[in-house]
Order: sequence, then structure tokens, then C-alpha cells
Amino acid sequence: MIRRLHTGFAWLATLLFCLPIYLALVNAFKDQRQILANPAAPPAPFTLGNLTRALQRPDLLVQAGLINSVVVTAASVLILVPLSSALSFYISERTPRVKAALLAMFALGLMVPPQVVLLPIVGLLQTVGLQHTYTGLILANVGGGYLSFAVFVYVGFLRGVPREVIEAARVDGAGDLRVWWQVVFPMVRPATATVAIFLGLWVWNDFLNPLFILGPLKGQTITTGVYLSVGTYSTDYGQLFGIMFLAAIIPVVGYLVSQREFIHGLMSGASK
Amino acid sequence: MTRRGGLAPIAWLAVLLYALFLVYPLCRSLFLSFTDRNPLKADSTFVGLSNYLDMLDDPRLLATLRFTLLVVVAVTVVANVFGLAFALLLNRNTANYRVMRTLIFIPQVLSGVIVAFIWRSILTQNGLLNAALAQVDARPVAWLGSTDLATVSICAVVSWMTIAFATVVYSAALRTVPPELYEAARVDGAGALERFRAVTLPMIAPGMTINVVLCLITTFKLYDVIAVLTGGGPANTTQSTAYYLLEVAFTQNLFGYSSAIAMLLLALTAGIAYTVTFLLRKREARL
Repeated sequence: MIRRLHTGFAWLATLLFCLPIYLALVNAFKDQRQILANPAAPPAPFTLGNLTRALQRPDLLVQAGLINSVVVTAASVLILVPLSSALSFYISERTPRVKAALLAMFALGLMVPPQVVLLPIVGLLQTVGLQHTYTGLILANVGGGYLSFAVFVYVGFLRGVPREVIEAARVDGAGDLRVWWQVVFPMVRPATATVAIFLGLWVWNDFLNPLFILGPLKGQTITTGVYLSVGTYSTDYGQLFGIMFLAAIIPVVGYLVSQREFIHGLMSGASK
Repeated sequence: MTRRGGLAPIAWLAVLLYALFLVYPLCRSLFLSFTDRNPLKADSTFVGLSNYLDMLDDPRLLATLRFTLLVVVAVTVVANVFGLAFALLLNRNTANYRVMRTLIFIPQVLSGVIVAFIWRSILTQNGLLNAALAQVDARPVAWLGSTDLATVSICAVVSWMTIAFATVVYSAALRTVPPELYEAARVDGAGALERFRAVTLPMIAPGMTINVVLCLITTFKLYDVIAVLTGGGPANTTQSTAYYLLEVAFTQNLFGYSSAIAMLLLALTAGIAYTVTFLLRKREARL
């Protein structure tokens, strides 16, 4: 009896907490009149009008934004993963003193608010002609605080990798590059999952870098695109929820599919 | 001689990129903070500490600092209390509870922009909450339009996002507590509250340190939620320091002064994060 009561209360608290998500979800499938008459009612009658209207915008906000987000996110993560795991292996092989110095330098990136370095990054990209380009945005992602996060995950994980395995590969005559690629990289797969999932999510959801590096003239990512074009008609809730549904569907589905790795990543972080 | 086999070039390429996009911008910001750099003027001169002295007579900056600290403290406390409470409530390993824990994390998966838009459509003057209030003939409330309520609304929305994160980290921490410890405490006659104080709290102390410090760092750089929810208004009362700093840089073009504010923000974030980490680690050791 107490157990049933506890479960009931837990569900009540959870659903109450998730109420805003429920509202955004059901109202994406209701027309404006239905939304204002009863925001919390389920979508009956059901309409896909908000989604089709969002996809038929002349500025192609959703389609262009999604493509840009996929390109920027995929490129950033695909460069960050090998770069950071190779760097971390290199760091973990150094003498304690060099290792401490490098880690101290990378710890900075975890702490620095992005606003603090944004202006000089924009200036630097302007100087080399990469401001307002996707290449510039991807480079800024790869070299910024994300790299620090990846390095700390990998270096932490490498502490648990037995030295003998690496030494054995060395004795067999493999160079560092081959040891890393053929021995270390497969062994740190759980760390790679954590790094790829979290960096993918953060780059996808990033606001400041795309907003200031791509600028208002260049095609935006979905996150900044929603911000720049939705603000003007905030009272058209049907349209607003339709666009947000399309913008949120990829990260939410990605999370639901990979939640085991998500939780695992958070757990290894929390128990360190 | 050991064969390097080409790993060093990759590692140093990563270091180079980090130097270009993090270390250099940091040094550049520090340098700019001692100049009167303005992109509309051809040359800039070294002005010593005058940008830092200007901060003392800038009432708007002081207002943003007060607002930022208020939000940081409120969100850190609320998110940790509710996050831990949620984690304790959901700390069972059946399908029901796994689904609940999955749902709770969704606000963290959405971008701050989407979260803020959802909440804006709920809280704005002719939004969903006021529409619901109208159904019961209640007067509409200016959740985002009046100065005090707007601050409370920002704190609530940021807390909502942060509770999602805190709950999952605390849930993970709770699973590291061996059930035998609870049994032992029960045998010793400890009540529920005593078991929480003597067993749970010490065991989840590392999770608490992570939660509190990450909460501090992320709330200090708060920007997107404010940009969407209130745009810093009404009457600039909901501007965070991070928000004000970008306005000074990109709207007022005062690069020198904005860099000085950036250094202050960095010092505050780093100082508070290090101090809190140190204090909590000491507490972990004591527990």
C-alpha cells in the first residue's frame, strides 16, 4: 500500500515537473483557437497544420537550420573525438610534471565563460577571413572549452587502462600512432560514447558561438535560427510550437535512444 | 630511441587549436581591458586601470552583478534541494521509476532557447498561464513584465533546467550507496532521518560537489534564457553580467571596457568555483 502511494506521488511530481514539455508537445498539434481555449487539453481534433506551415516558410528556417546544425555538429564532433583522444593518450604518457602543466592549462577551458573569449575569437576569425563561415564556427568549437571537457573525460578513463597492454603493443614494435589507433582507441570506447553524446548535444544546442560567429546574414543553426526568426510573431502559438517541435525532435529522440550511455556518462562523472 | 609514430603532431595540433581559440582570446581580453579599444576608431591607446575604475561608477554593471549573484545563489540552492529530493523520491530500480528518471532529464536535452520559448509562451502577457487564469475569471499577471516577478520567473525557469541535471547526477550518486550500509544503520536503530544524515549524505558528497560547482559555473554564464525570456527587461532589471558584457562589446562597441567586465566575470566565476570546490572537498573528507 505504501509502495503504491509512493509510486503515485512520484508520478504526480514527475508529470507536474514535465508539464511545460507536455504543453509544448500537445499544442504543436492544435490550432491557435484550441490552444488559447484550453492549453492543457489533448490535441483533439488533431492537426498537422502547424508542422506543414513551419516547413512551408519561404525562408526555409527549419530545413536550412536543421541541415546547418547537422553539418556543424557532425563536423565538430568528428574532429573533436580523434583529436582529443589522441591528445589525452599523449598527455597520459608524459612525465607527471608535464602532464600536470598540460592538464592545468586545459582545466581553464572548463571554467572560462564563453562570453569572456567571444570578442577576441570573432576578431581572430575576422583577421584570417573565417568570420561568418561554418569553418570558423567549427574551428572555434574544436579549439574551445569542448576540447577541455573531452580531454578530462579521456584522461580520467585512461587512468583505468592497464599499462601492460600498451607496453605489450610497444614491444611488438608498434609506433605511438598505431598503439593509439589500434589498442587505446578501441579500449576507451565508453569514454568516446560519453564525449560524442555530450559534445554533440552541446554543440547542437549552442547559442553564443553560432549567433556571433555566423552572424544574422549567414544561414543559422536551428537553435539560433529559432531565436532570430520566431521572436517577431510570438503570439502565433501554433506556429511557435510547430517550429519548436521540429527543432527539438532530433536531440530528444537521440537522447531517448542513447539514454543508457547518457546516464553512464553522468555516473562516471558523478563518482569521480 | 622510441618511435613517436606521428602521435605527437596530432596532439600538438590540438594544443595549437586550443591555444588559438582559448588561451590567446583569454590573453587578448586581458590586454584589451587595459586599452580604450573601439572598432570605430582607428587606433587605441593604453589607459592603464581606468576601465577597471570605470566599473566602480557604473550603476548598470552593479545592478547586473546583484542580479547575477541573486540568480546564481537562488538556482544553486533550489536546484540542489529539489534535485536531491527528486532523486530520493525516484530512487528505485523498477521500470516505472526508470521511465520517470528518463522524463525528468528532458529539460537538459532541449536548448536554452527552446526551453525559454516554451516558458515564454506560458508566462507572457497573453500566454497560456494567463489564458488558463482567464478561464477561472482571474486577472492576468505580468509574469515577465513587472520587475520583481520577471526576476522570479528567470530564477524559476533556470532552476527548472538545472533541477533536471541535478536529479540525474544525484540519482547516479545514490546508486553508489551500498544497501548493506542502510541495513547496518537500521539494525543500529537509526530512523529514516538519521540514516539520511549518517549514510546517504556522506556517500553522495562527491556528487553534491560536482552538482554545486557545475551549477555555479553554468549559471554565471547565463545568456540565452534571458535573451529569449525578457531580453534583459523590464528596465534592464534582468540583465546578467554576461549579457551586459556582450551588449557593451557589440552594441556600444566599447571593447576595452567590455574586456574589463569579462575579466571581472572570469575572476568571480573562477574564484567562487574554486572556493566552493575547496570547501566541499574539505567537507567530503570530514564526512
